[in-house]
Amino acid sequence: MRIVVCAKEVLDPDAVNNYALAGGLQIGEDGKTLTQTTIPKLINGFDEQAIEAALRLRDAGTECIITVVSAGDDPANLLKHAAALGADEIASIPVDASQGDCYSIACLLAAYIRKNGGADLVLCGRQASDDDQGVVAALIGEFLGMPVVTIARALERADSPNGAALRVTRVTPDGDEVVEVTCPALVTVSNELGEPRYPTTAKKLAARRMKPTVVDTAELDLRPEDLQPRAKLVRQFVPSVQGSCEMISGATAAAAAERLVERLYEDSILQ
Amino acid sequence: MTSNAVVVCTWDRGHDGLPVGAEEVLTLGRKTSKTLGAELHWLLLGPMPDQAMEIAAHYGVTHIDRIEDAKLASFQPDPYVEALTQYCAQQTPKLLLCSQTFDARLVAPRLAGRLGSGVVMNGIDVCVDVDGGLEVTASAYGGDTRAVYALAGERTCVVGVLANALVPEPVEGAGSSSKVREIQVDLASAEERIRTIEQARTQGPRIEEAEIIVAGGRGLGSPENYKLVEELAQALGGMAGASRPIVDEGWVDPSRQVGLTGHITRPGLYIAAGISGASQHMAGCAAAKAIAAINSDPEAAIFRYARYGIVGDCLELLPEVIRAVKARRAQRGEA
Repeated sequence: MRIVVCAKEVLDPDAVNNYALAGGLQIGEDGKTLTQTTIPKLINGFDEQAIEAALRLRDAGTECIITVVSAGDDPANLLKHAAALGADEIASIPVDASQGDCYSIACLLAAYIRKNGGADLVLCGRQASDDDQGVVAALIGEFLGMPVVTIARALERADSPNGAALRVTRVTPDGDEVVEVTCPALVTVSNELGEPRYPTTAKKLAARRMKPTVVDTAELDLRPEDLQPRAKLVRQFVPSVQGSCEMISGATAAAAAERLVERLYEDSILQ
Repeated sequence: MTSNAVVVCTWDRGHDGLPVGAEEVLTLGRKTSKTLGAELHWLLLGPMPDQAMEIAAHYGVTHIDRIEDAKLASFQPDPYVEALTQYCAQQTPKLLLCSQTFDARLVAPRLAGRLGSGVVMNGIDVCVDVDGGLEVTASAYGGDTRAVYALAGERTCVVGVLANALVPEPVEGAGSSSKVREIQVDLASAEERIRTIEQARTQGPRIEEAEIIVAGGRGLGSPENYKLVEELAQALGGMAGASRPIVDEGWVDPSRQVGLTGHITRPGLYIAAGISGASQHMAGCAAAKAIAAINSDPEAAIFRYARYGIVGDCLELLPEVIRAVKARRAQRGEA
């Protein structure tokens, strides 16, 4: 089975959150780029879980080649991490992310997959923790003509005489749903999959020697219009939070609790 | 080239039988169509809800467009994407706004992929710039920032709208009546490729629709203390929610998770116990009419969003709040 995992490098969302809460998140002169150099870049957490999902399929006995591909300004560190986790192949699609959008990135990733022997299974994180858009996976699925199963917490093989298939447990607002889909298919992975593994030191060292395939985008047979951004980021700003909290206290926990409930009734929030 | 029309598309029904988020997204659709000087269409997939005509009148809908087909009776991604693709090919609207339900998060980008058009999710506002171009403001970084996207291209743009971030604004008076059009699509070849083996067990009302939510986080200390959250929720006739860390730790079922990657809620009252208030979580509850927060850290971010706050240990405070609520209810029962 050929598994391709698409991964994105993002600014550490926790660090962004800390700066935002402290009121010190900086946006550059272009009006849209977060410029703090102290915010580390790392693999999007959901994408790391997508790699984990691939590794778990292998652990469960699936013979597979796992390729991790990333399109971005400089995905070298991300890809080394992927190799240390157990990817068999790593591929880098160098693009100036500021010139593209989700659509053009999805075109590149889909074209790469098509050009390199296709895939029986494409895995992506449910969304990237920077833009939260969650559209690249669905677009890739559409471009490759694959069914798209979103928000998986578990994947297992469910092959039939018709060929390879997967049984996927999805986390829906109404609880878990179990579906089956025939390969080739695209599945997005959610945090409910559980903690991804850590690479061992030996694997980290070995990964240093693995060189990513650098994709020449000119050879992906894309039309110029495929790379035209359709939803281009033009501005970014930090929304203001009102911050007018009425602090309630009391001599005892009981008194404070009583006062809170009283206030909720006074303001007709409880009736 | 597209027409100027703005289409609001809904299908997912809530417990009240109405499409989830319809009034909020119609409010945004009306504003946008007015600026564009264009018609506002409301596209309903599947059976038409009884109140549709009345709602349409209140939101200035010029046309209700209906697509009915046996394959659209319940949600299946492939027939839905195909129906919307054919609709957009026939009608060529400028903009299609979807209420961003769980299923729309998949359907909207797939539709954009079919159409070759731009797509933005987590939308909270749409503006028309001087050249008639569309700019969509969307939530990003779990709510820490707002990203503004300029939509380009000659094809129908697709935008997922966070209905819970918007407030419905019906027009004054009775409104004008909308024309109903039956739109014909051919779904003969649209066979769903995903086979449902086990349906999600629907557990009564959805947390999205709860008027009161009591949510717990890491400050509860250990899984067994979550029962305090459930007890208070029950005493208030509300529902229990949770922050992502305790869901990831396995204390609580994911169906309880409130936040960007969980449920996006807008209750009248949201009581947050032992929740720090990370943006990821606030994205799921910041639109509550009132937030009451209990946290031992006076610097916790949750107090920036809260209307009422108590600094203290939620394990000491929750039992007292439960007692106070029960006492009030008993008193009122007697009165």
